[in-house]
Amino acid sequence: MKFDVDTLTIAEESRGSALASRLVRALGPSVPVNYVSDARDAVRPLPVADPFDAGKRRIVVMKRRTPFLMACPAGSSKFACCGYLVLVLASNCPMDCSYCFLQEHVANNPSFQLYSNFADCFAELERLAASAPGRHFRVGTGELADSLAMDSLTGISSDLIEFVRNREFLTLELKTKTDEIDNLLKIDPRGRVIVSWTLSPDAVWKSSEHRTASPSARIAAARAVLETGYRIGFHFDPMIAYPEAEQDYAGLVDELLSTIPAEGISFLSMGALRMTPGLRNAARRRFPNDPMLLGEEVPGADGRLRAFGALRIRLYRTLQERFERAGAQIPSYLCMESSAVHQRVFGATPSTPATIGERLAIG
Amino acid sequence: MTDLDSQIRSLAAARRLPDSHLEKWLRLDESSRSAVLETARALKLRTGQIVAALDLLEEISVREGEPVAALLDRPAVRGLANAAGSTPSRAHAFLDELRAMRFPRLRETIDRVEAAIAALRLPHEIKLVLPRELSSDELTIQLTVSDAEGLERLLGMLKEKQSDLERIFSMLGGDDEV
Repeated sequence: MKFDVDTLTIAEESRGSALASRLVRALGPSVPVNYVSDARDAVRPLPVADPFDAGKRRIVVMKRRTPFLMACPAGSSKFACCGYLVLVLASNCPMDCSYCFLQEHVANNPSFQLYSNFADCFAELERLAASAPGRHFRVGTGELADSLAMDSLTGISSDLIEFVRNREFLTLELKTKTDEIDNLLKIDPRGRVIVSWTLSPDAVWKSSEHRTASPSARIAAARAVLETGYRIGFHFDPMIAYPEAEQDYAGLVDELLSTIPAEGISFLSMGALRMTPGLRNAARRRFPNDPMLLGEEVPGADGRLRAFGALRIRLYRTLQERFERAGAQIPSYLCMESSAVHQRVFGATPSTPATIGERLAIG
Repeated sequence: MTDLDSQIRSLAAARRLPDSHLEKWLRLDESSRSAVLETARALKLRTGQIVAALDLLEEISVREGEPVAALLDRPAVRGLANAAGSTPSRAHAFLDELRAMRFPRLRETIDRVEAAIAALRLPHEIKLVLPRELSSDELTIQLTVSDAEGLERLLGMLKEKQSDLERIFSMLGGDDEV
């Protein structure tokens, strides 16, 4: 997939980095390159009508000063969590989903940041392993950015896979809405990499997931990486409870299972669309005509808006039952839902986040 | 500026309508602008009510792909402008109807669960409180007692109604069509 880039800004301290060289070479002479002594100004919003959208086309290469590795920011003791660990190698995304939490999260620094010292994350991962010998971890790069959207320019996936494929304690998750898999097909991941796709019905894709690959293209890409030796997973997240949602999500499951055998799927996650009031305002401002942002969401105990309880639980169960009816026993979890909701959907109390995380990592 | 727009501005000034909502009103197509003005006058909508109505109408219009004028022309809504009863009560009913249009499945589910609770015919010492806007699947049960005997009596009643209560829990958990 090709995304528009208006400018490439490189911090002087990152000028000689491998990442900067790769980007300059891949983008070619048509994209102006600026070198700056301090990149902090370059990441701030431009004084334009939609600074968030403008930020998506302004790549800034700089050093990250804080740790790359962190616990998933969605985690909370109020929810039954999956023990996911996040590597922050980039911030923002060239695609533009109307519901995306980045619209609020990076509103003050919307430029597309890529970190030239990303290889420092390997030392952090080694320290993580040393701190808990014998444990397995699932670590992903798809929280503040899509894991693969810019991979044809950066090639970072290859560095990451080279690192994790020799480390038994690690499973890398590359989460994406693209079909950008060319680099993945060149490397044998030795079972240590899960590529996961967010999946939505066509109605949501067309209405809300701008500049992403179609659901069918995502499924086809999943099949291709599965055949190359990668593990694969799917995130039905956010699930949007629009009027035809139940039949559309059921149809999506049928399409998925007609292309990919159930036993080839490592895990599934589900999560309802959830928005803070601030995110909802930002999203509505940018996408005033998207009906998917105007479901029957009500405020929950955590202040976020979600489809009311009965509606979203019914949607989760529809999906889960569809997989079960197809004889697909796939490890599944809910994101940002309580243990009580988990119990209603799966009929069992969730394990601890660490246990779930380890189970998903080992496969 | 058209005569219609000057009438809208005049009403907005009289009600001290926030600029953001005046702009929202003026962005509507002409027949929708006019229909909102007519309704606001007929129901003597107050500032907060105009704000709520504009927000709800805008969202329903996007959800259903219909202009605001068409929404206000629906019999259930139009009838309120000419219905019997005081103007404030009709204004209240108007906003209630808009909320039902904006959250149709939520409203239907609340109505069904409330009907199921009423059918239990519980004594006034037992109150079943639904989660606010059904945001969760949890039902709060309040018992008002002054002694252990009373507590035992109420618990016994709840025990007798267990299967009906289970049905309500199921409704809250999405077992019904929503």
